Amino acid sequence: MEVLQMLFKVLLFPGFLFLTSYAFAAEYIDRKLHARMQNRKGPKWYIPFADFFKLIGKQTIIHDDAHAGIIKAMPVVSLAGVATAFIYIPVVGSSAVFSFEGDIIIVLYFLSLPVLTQFLAGWYSRSLYATIGASRVITQMFAYEVPLFMCLLAPSLIANTWSVSGITQYYSEHPLYALINLPAFAVALITVQSKLSKAPFDAPEAETEIVSGPYVEYTGRPLAFFRMSADCEEVVLISLVSAIFLPFLSGNAVIDVILYFVKTLAILFVLTLMRTVTARLRVNQTVTLCWRYLVPAALLQMIVNLIVRGWLA
Amino acid sequence: MSNEESKVLQIISNFPNLDGRIRQIAPKRIFTDPLESGEFHQLVSYIHDEMGFFRAHHAVGVDDGENLGFIYIFSDEDNTILAAKQTVPKENPEIESLNKLYPSLLLHELELADLFGAVISGLPDVPHYPLPDGWPEGSYPMRKEWKPEYFNKETMTYEPPEEVQKNG
Amino acid sequence: MADDNKVIIPIGPQHPSLDEPASFTVTLSGERVDNVVIGIGYNHRGLEKACESRTYVQDLYIVERVCGICSHSHTSAFCMGVEQLAGVTVPDRAEYIRAIVAELERLHSHLLWLGVAGHEIGFDTLFMYTWRDREKVLDLLAAIGGNRINYSVNTFGGVRRDLDESIFAKITATLNELEKQINYYLELAQTELTLKARLSGIGCLSKEDALKFGATGPVLRAAGVAQDIRTAEPYGAYKNFEVNVITHTAADVFGRTAVRILEMLESIRIIRHCIKEMPEGAILAKVPRRIPEGEVIVRMEAPRGENIHYIRSNGTDKPDRIRVRAPSEANWHGMQHMLKGEYLADVPISIAAIDPCYSCTDRAITVNSDGTRKVTDWQSIRKYGIDWYKKRGLDMADIRLERGV
Repeated sequence: MEVLQMLFKVLLFPGFLFLTSYAFAAEYIDRKLHARMQNRKGPKWYIPFADFFKLIGKQTIIHDDAHAGIIKAMPVVSLAGVATAFIYIPVVGSSAVFSFEGDIIIVLYFLSLPVLTQFLAGWYSRSLYATIGASRVITQMFAYEVPLFMCLLAPSLIANTWSVSGITQYYSEHPLYALINLPAFAVALITVQSKLSKAPFDAPEAETEIVSGPYVEYTGRPLAFFRMSADCEEVVLISLVSAIFLPFLSGNAVIDVILYFVKTLAILFVLTLMRTVTARLRVNQTVTLCWRYLVPAALLQMIVNLIVRGWLA
Repeated sequence: MSNEESKVLQIISNFPNLDGRIRQIAPKRIFTDPLESGEFHQLVSYIHDEMGFFRAHHAVGVDDGENLGFIYIFSDEDNTILAAKQTVPKENPEIESLNKLYPSLLLHELELADLFGAVISGLPDVPHYPLPDGWPEGSYPMRKEWKPEYFNKETMTYEPPEEVQKNG
Repeated sequence: MADDNKVIIPIGPQHPSLDEPASFTVTLSGERVDNVVIGIGYNHRGLEKACESRTYVQDLYIVERVCGICSHSHTSAFCMGVEQLAGVTVPDRAEYIRAIVAELERLHSHLLWLGVAGHEIGFDTLFMYTWRDREKVLDLLAAIGGNRINYSVNTFGGVRRDLDESIFAKITATLNELEKQINYYLELAQTELTLKARLSGIGCLSKEDALKFGATGPVLRAAGVAQDIRTAEPYGAYKNFEVNVITHTAADVFGRTAVRILEMLESIRIIRHCIKEMPEGAILAKVPRRIPEGEVIVRMEAPRGENIHYIRSNGTDKPDRIRVRAPSEANWHGMQHMLKGEYLADVPISIAAIDPCYSCTDRAITVNSDGTRKVTDWQSIRKYGIDWYKKRGLDMADIRLERGV
């Protein structure tokens, strides 16, 4: 019975099926909001699904110079990475499907996988645009990864736990302490946007410069799964940010699920707004922004949190 | 005396051989008659160095039958336009590039080479412009005798009938 | 890949950031541009040759199609040249109508550019907003000339259509809306941080270089040179009033953006002035079919810069030589200089910043009698045309389209 329940949790809710459905829904909401903010009509609700199934049905073309194995494997690895990370993030209340002390590190490592697969995909596509895109992906990763880790780990200093569920649990019991983490929350939003390669951090995929960067040689099924994995990554990241920085829970499962949607959609709205109102930054400008402003901000947050922790203890 | 007239007189006083061959034809427009290559280059370097004609707008090719004319359009601070015309025989259309004095003439001179068959010395090494690669050698579409109906787009060849070739 | 860790990357002839075929072979070291070879001329259509074998009136329609965006500028220059050769004086009212259309064209061209610039730097919201506003200008032009892009307002000796009070009211109302929007864009350009970060300090062409390479239009004015043909050599209605020349000192893409936005405000002012001062009278003077012998050089200020037409007449009804120097042709020369040392990321916007000219295909609208709109595709236009001629006794259905059309 317990095994069945576990399987249900991993595969259906709040596991893989929920993740993918919500990912498509989030893509729709993101595109629709983006369009409405730009004075456009935007897509119909089923367009992300339709896009996915259309791409699945298209012919997959891999040119001779490209490494077919890597081209085909990378989307799956990327999707597996994000899906696994999602298991450790609480959706209902404060308990994830699995959790153990230190799972936040695991989540962050799993979330690095999509970026690395993007790099490998671009590099082994053996196309000039893809190669430049791949090098931009990795450059950008070195820029945002450090502030992202620091700002996600800062709250755990006060909570005194290295588990995502633990952090959520702690802050839902002391919601006012979450206010201390507001600067880290801002840093997290910016770096998450950067990790998702969305404007203003979409240099790796800049259409007008390098066509579509690492994905330029992708067609058909691998492209479909890469896009799906990017959507899932977005949901996982906003869920993680909401679990760590917006830990308001009621204790009632149904209300908690509704709260989860309210919180994640609010974050999604902020991310969409950010990509609507900004121009694309150059990679060197992204690096400057991350290292000159975000890292010191995150560092300051850690110091403050350490002091608070000492004061609480 | 208007500004333009004084400029014409200044040029004539330095180049007496141009007397009667350079005139103001409209407000702010000074035109010359067709000039030989030597006269033309002396005039151009004079107006560039001494008279402040720092802008070169354009080089227009014209087909005058036996000769090809190349009209270079310059202007100065007062926006007076001086159109100096160089003439060369069609059989041997060799001219010297003005690229050193006026870099902004580059594309126009390339056009003269491609469309009129001018043989220009002193041009930098740049891609073909504006005719496509594989355009038939020795066929210059802006010359009057060139007729579009004899050009085959599929094979990129220009084959006029015999008598046209002889007359042209 | 070349040696020394240098990457050669082709931008074009087909590339998402280019609106026309042109090739830029960029040699990169890292993300920096080491060298760039520019290949243009893919769009050479032989219009000048075509003009020589047709009459002046037929040429007017060819000249209109030199450029999709500045169609009015080219016909204005051509008409002015022919009128000067024929010694015809254009009625004042026609000159004012030409000026109104020319300024509307400047508005739509600059709005289009602003949108393209936004798109090149990944700021699609700006693109959507400006192109929405551009539609309003295009609607006005359609109301004036009957078409969105090739409005054919000009004809030899004047203009083809008179404007009445109802159109003036429409223009005034639209201008009021546009002025608000353009002021908003001006504020946006000055305050939005990412926009400024991406536009400042790139595509630099100093005053000396701009003069040396013969740059023109907003590129030249952004380098601080107050050169505008409307004031340097006033023509048409511009003889009667002052035009403020907009300059900027930045000499980079940001400067060009600022110049273009401010020029739009100036255009709005000019249109309002023209409507207020609109003289009464005829709109057309008679021009003979045969144009007297002579040659003429016409300069006028197109949205992109100085437009020069050279016309030589041999006394017949066909011109001996027509030569068009579109403004973009002058601006290409400084391009290589501008791009050297730039980041690859800045190459598309630097190229776009001179506003290279391209012909744009227009979508067709049929307006039904009840006012509803319908977008018509090429096949149904063709069918409509065939039916139209059939009613008049000509059957064109058997004419096969040439390959590649």
